[in-house]
Amino acid sequence: MLAATDISNPGYSVLFALLLFIGASVWLGTLAQKAMEKKEFLKGFFLGNRGLGAWALALTATVQSGGTFMGFPALVYSHGWIVLLWIGSYMVVPLLSFAVVGKRLAQLSRMTDSFTVPDLLRERFADPRVGLVSSIMIITFMSFTMFAQFKAGATIMKHAWPGSGVLALSEDYEPTASEKAESTNGSAGAAAKSASKPIDRKYYVGLVVFTVTVVGYTLIGGFLASVWTDLFQSVMMVIGVTILVCLAVPMAGGLEQATKTAIANTSSDIAFGPGYSTIGREFLTPGLALSMFFIWIFGGFVSPASMVRVMAAESTEVMRKSICLLSCYNCLIYIPLVMTCIAARTMLPHLEKPDEVIPRMSMLVTEGLPFGPFISGLILAAPFGAIMASVSCFILVISSGLVQDIYVRFLHPAATEAQVRRATNVSMISVGLIAVIANLDPPQYLQALVVLSASGGGAAFTIPVLMACYWRRTTAAGMLAGMLVGFCFYFGLSAAGWIQNWASTATDSSSLARSVIQVLGPDPKIGVPGLFRPYYILGIDPMVWSLFVSAIAGVCTSLVTKPPSEEHVSRFFDVAVVK
Amino acid sequence: MPDIQELPLLKSAKREALAALGIWLAATIYSLGYCYKHGYGRDPESLTYVLGFPDWVFWGLVVPWGACTVVASVFAFCFMKDEELPESGQ
Repeated sequence: MLAATDISNPGYSVLFALLLFIGASVWLGTLAQKAMEKKEFLKGFFLGNRGLGAWALALTATVQSGGTFMGFPALVYSHGWIVLLWIGSYMVVPLLSFAVVGKRLAQLSRMTDSFTVPDLLRERFADPRVGLVSSIMIITFMSFTMFAQFKAGATIMKHAWPGSGVLALSEDYEPTASEKAESTNGSAGAAAKSASKPIDRKYYVGLVVFTVTVVGYTLIGGFLASVWTDLFQSVMMVIGVTILVCLAVPMAGGLEQATKTAIANTSSDIAFGPGYSTIGREFLTPGLALSMFFIWIFGGFVSPASMVRVMAAESTEVMRKSICLLSCYNCLIYIPLVMTCIAARTMLPHLEKPDEVIPRMSMLVTEGLPFGPFISGLILAAPFGAIMASVSCFILVISSGLVQDIYVRFLHPAATEAQVRRATNVSMISVGLIAVIANLDPPQYLQALVVLSASGGGAAFTIPVLMACYWRRTTAAGMLAGMLVGFCFYFGLSAAGWIQNWASTATDSSSLARSVIQVLGPDPKIGVPGLFRPYYILGIDPMVWSLFVSAIAGVCTSLVTKPPSEEHVSRFFDVAVVK
Repeated sequence: MPDIQELPLLKSAKREALAALGIWLAATIYSLGYCYKHGYGRDPESLTYVLGFPDWVFWGLVVPWGACTVVASVFAFCFMKDEELPESGQ
């Protein structure tokens, strides 16, 4: 009797689906290990022997993290149709991801026999400083992003945990009214309070299970394990989204009716720009919309994770097919997700936590179906799969950086294969351990570092990578200038935003805050609310400005420094044709 | 006497990169322009629907999204050139 009620409880089916994901990932990990056996260790482990096919390349090269299934739907639910413009540049992301630098990166990485981005840049400019700076930047950026994903993974496991009984679980799933009020008022206070509750033991268990699984299967299977699990979750995700949209839109009375009901439940702003907002903040001004058309494109194709995958592509034919596959995949993911979340305004008009829109919708629409809890469990587990996949990719890039770019290049150039293998294991396990320690009591400002790392990487690498690929005159100094100036400018504008944000809350008590506001201007009331929004010059995101500044710095520095030797450049640009 | 030429892959890669950036620019100008004109500051009463989408979402985002998917596929199968990738280490 009890067992029957347990199974119908969403918590158990979610846990079941999570275990399924974990099991599948470990299984794929062991398969991957078999696939890379008998080959040279480093290249096999970190690059899968350059044998990625079209599906694996297409569905894993662009960054899909838990955000696609949690953050993005929450934005649609909160702000309405305008979010499709926010993500609109995804219509050309597949093309740009592979057609701008893809072929050339694959060629350069083979010419230089390198399997990490810093390695490639070091060889291309014959300058260890370029390698070291890019290596340190990549490791730092990815670490922050990755640590936050550990927290997300552990939190999902906590929610799925059956706990001491069904009641405790449902309490966990549906916060009591007072908790709800708290979480909507002051999130910091609520977080602090919930952290002290004994129930959070589940968080630690979740953290440990999550870490052991991901580090475990990445350690076993390396790059291929990471790619295959990523592919697996991408396929699960598109299935989940398709089921959701097919059920949700008819239940809301069709798309047009859903929009009309959403307007009735909120205001007409939900169907127009700059988006619906309950706090008087303009979500997507035209300037920010323009910024997003830069951010998704230029933050995407130079992210270290996708550059590594392009380097691992088997051939240029694979890249061509990937463009087509990924274009279709994006169509099937983003527009249906927006439709589902618009329908959610009909069925769940007043969610306290917009983050829960997909979990709640999936439980709601599958309620009456046979295997309903199982389907909703799978949909709920999809973000977990996405998080596992991206963490495993990050661990891989970070440890390849530590092993190849630091250990082999600087500390121990004559390392034997066994030593390299040991260094790899040690670095991956340490990355896992550090992530656990950092997440035992995650600091509030972690979120700022995450935002900073995600776009900071794009700001630092876009222009230098383009220069390294296509411009003969590029010098090592130009590369360094492009990377450092791009990043520092981005960091500066972000920091200015945080200061402005602090100042606008403290104008009553502090004269310093008042003078800061005089210099920086008042809070423009645009964009996503939060402590860590950046400073917008002319209403445009810092990333766009950083790209321009990075280009100026990179090009000018290259032009004023001594040109690279013609013989060295010729190695990467020319071919001798016998007449 | 061998003649020094630009790598064939580099040549086609440059051409494709420029074309891709051109498509990005066109998509950005069209989508942003259309949505700015018809999606911002509009009288809510004038809203019509196309296939259930608000009209500006349909013409400004859904249609170009579909068009970009087609263009990307044509690009991938008819325009982008396959090149020999060197053996690792050469």
